[in-house]
Amino acid sequence: MELARNLKVESVIRLKPTEDYRLLPEATVSQAICLMREKKIGCVLICREDHLLGLFTERDLIRRVLARRLPLDSPIQQVMTPSPEVVSPTDSISSAIRKMQEGNYRHLPVLDNQNKPMGILSVKRIVHYLAGHFPTAVFNLPPDPTQYPPCAEGA
Amino acid sequence: MICPHCNKRNYPGIDSCSNCKLDLSSFDVPVAHDRVERSLMEDPVGVVKPPPAVILHSSTPVSKALDIMIDQNIGALLVVDDQNKMLGIFSERDMLNHVLDDPTDYAEKPISDYMTEEPETVRTTDRLAFVLHKMDNGGYRHLPVLKDGKPIAMISVRDMLKHILYLCNTH
Repeated sequence: MELARNLKVESVIRLKPTEDYRLLPEATVSQAICLMREKKIGCVLICREDHLLGLFTERDLIRRVLARRLPLDSPIQQVMTPSPEVVSPTDSISSAIRKMQEGNYRHLPVLDNQNKPMGILSVKRIVHYLAGHFPTAVFNLPPDPTQYPPCAEGA
Repeated sequence: MICPHCNKRNYPGIDSCSNCKLDLSSFDVPVAHDRVERSLMEDPVGVVKPPPAVILHSSTPVSKALDIMIDQNIGALLVVDDQNKMLGIFSERDMLNHVLDDPTDYAEKPISDYMTEEPETVRTTDRLAFVLHKMDNGGYRHLPVLKDGKPIAMISVRDMLKHILYLCNTH
């Protein structure tokens, strides 16, 4: 239960990285937006035959496409983040958090020992892991009268 | 919860023993095991020093909001009306979800067309563990921080992780 120790001992695979969705470098920005909306994800991998070429995230969409007023049919390889920072499934959770913090990343592709993408570690998984440590801390918080509405709904 | 006085097995979280009426509330209080846990359970939002919220009027065009988000390196900002009342939050995810609705003229639209209305908020007095749970439950990366009902800051997942890393490193 000691959180600081667990973060160092437990590995990335324990966080169950989410499934990765991939596009070819020739795909357009619109195709990426559609895929991200449909799957409710913040990033897609740009790959060719299991080889990771880059990453396209919501932030790339804002920074490199919308802010520059590029048309949405631009090819994704022009606006992706090439050679992104990655993690291995055996890396510690704390090292993954550190990589995210240092680069200000919200997603890290997880690569197996043959450098093939096997998932994406998102900051949401880390928040979920951390929150899972404190169920009692939140359920047993002392009652606070201001947390409740002044009158019953519909009254 | 087994009563330490009469050994009666009670429901978890019960205030007093159903058999001998012993006050059990003090036995059920969660205990922190290390300084990371202690900080998250005891420290209020202000400890992580969340940056002041960037606040824009609802009529601001999307292009201006995007420029500000890039300049200040932030992922979300708050939207208010003429009376400075908070109307919503405008984030990168809102752009992703709505840009294909107007793929050519999104830049001139007001941010109120794209924002998420009535966002979840936290208060300066809330504990960090509470904030973490709110972020986890709703999948939020940013939560406006209110003081006396007014938004004064924006706490992000980034702020939380930075704080946790700091505590781990100085352990």
